Amino acid sequence: MNGLERIVTAARFERRAEVPAVPQIFGHAARIAGQPLREYLTDGVVLARCQLAALARYRADAVFAVCDVNVETEALGSRLGYRADAYPSVEHHVLEAPAEVAGLRVPTPTSSGRMPQVLTAARMLRSEVGDTVLVTGFVLGPMTLACQLLGAERALYAAVDEPDAFESVLDFAVEVALAFGQAQLEAGAHLCIVFDPSASPAVVPAAFFRELLADRTRQLQAGLRGHGALANWQHIAGPVLPLLPLYPECLVDIANIDYCVTVAQARAALPGLCLDGNVRSLAFADADPELIARACDELLDAAGPAGFILSSGCEVPLEARPECIDALVAAARRHKA
Amino acid sequence: MDGALDKLVTLLLEGDAQASLVEGRRVRATGQDGPRLVVAALEAAMDRMGAKCTTEQFNLLEIMLTGRAAMAVVRDTFPDGVGATRGTVVIGTPQGDVHDLGKNVTKMVLAAKGFRVIDCGKDCPVTEMVDAAQREGALAVLVSGLISPVIPLVRQLRELLRSRGLGPVKVVAGGAALKQCAAATLNVDYVAQDAFDGARFLEGLDAVPQ
Repeated sequence: MNGLERIVTAARFERRAEVPAVPQIFGHAARIAGQPLREYLTDGVVLARCQLAALARYRADAVFAVCDVNVETEALGSRLGYRADAYPSVEHHVLEAPAEVAGLRVPTPTSSGRMPQVLTAARMLRSEVGDTVLVTGFVLGPMTLACQLLGAERALYAAVDEPDAFESVLDFAVEVALAFGQAQLEAGAHLCIVFDPSASPAVVPAAFFRELLADRTRQLQAGLRGHGALANWQHIAGPVLPLLPLYPECLVDIANIDYCVTVAQARAALPGLCLDGNVRSLAFADADPELIARACDELLDAAGPAGFILSSGCEVPLEARPECIDALVAAARRHKA
Repeated sequence: MDGALDKLVTLLLEGDAQASLVEGRRVRATGQDGPRLVVAALEAAMDRMGAKCTTEQFNLLEIMLTGRAAMAVVRDTFPDGVGATRGTVVIGTPQGDVHDLGKNVTKMVLAAKGFRVIDCGKDCPVTEMVDAAQREGALAVLVSGLISPVIPLVRQLRELLRSRGLGPVKVVAGGAALKQCAAATLNVDYVAQDAFDGARFLEGLDAVPQ
């Protein structure tokens, strides 16, 4: 069984023979390859080479054609501040008011901002790994992109003060995610993670997700599936328990959980859906490999015989200790059905 | 709490800033104890919001709306900023971290609870936070971090405070990355799980003279 097959088996909730190991390695790959993070984030060829170096180092089951959470908003006109060895951040948001979204156009992924670099990375990674491991794309979910376009505080207040205009921003965000995600699938990604941390119940009430985000998430996931995504992967962190029952209607196949929710809780909420998680991400930087190994063993025991991807539940820190990531992969490989 | 304040508390919890302002003015107009009653209503609203957080119904949006309404009432009631009674705290997001939503929410919660909050902003050198603590006579420095690379900076805070003779000043950490760590790991006095948890810790401290 190769890495891609392990993940497909888990996503289909088939009884597992082997457990997939997917530490969420994004910028840490640059550290492994000895490349400056800024080059990794701005050059798709460098990104792909670093991901391949991380794959060779850790032998996990996925590579990630992922830059950072600012790709879409930058492509739409937000101004970023870049640093040598940290992720960029938005210095000026393209929207000062939600109604201004009427003046934006969905960016062309082949020519807008760093989107072409992401496509280059996806293409190169797929060319190199074929169907041996998962080539993972990445789009922002509607709430997170709305926050990236407006700024988080402005977006949250707008959701209450200017609900109609804010919903227009959410609709636009779905269009952007579909265009970008479908381009990544065409370039070679097997699927796209829909990353929507701002939809977390830590940020907005669960009712907000139900009323404003669930249908839009479903629309987005349906569009990705219709474009050939191998599975639909929803990534929301924090206390997501109230959202999980909504995931099947949102067409989610793989539900990410982080350390705020236990596997037992998530499994009870989603008895037939694949979970991925949930070793505490910071533990990869501040804990010992033995602790990671124990945490993984406990997760695997709790996860049951099907539908589980052993993962960090969130991005592993740039400064993660490689031996901690090794411990996660080794734990997965130890466990057989 | 005075039953006459129920309406103001309800409006604050609903996050209705405009209606809270109107009701706050009505309460103030009831007599010379008006401002004190307004403060009591603000604290009651924040306490109820805090209790909600402990039942895992915490979300930033509701707190922001209540905080915004509370700030509107505070500014209207105390235009000269004389509402702070519980001492001064310094808050900031360390250099390298530009995420300030959590910091801003915490600032609102603390201000509504009667603390004077000195905001050092985001991407702030920890030495500037220490400068502010010294200058303002703070009882605590609150540091908020969403990303893990700021951890080494947080670890420096206590020693920097000691080197200025500010050993009694408490250090409180919070935010998505920092709250995954133990207080000893960060070399801080307390790791707050949310804004209200941090406020409860501060409320347990003795205020230092300004």
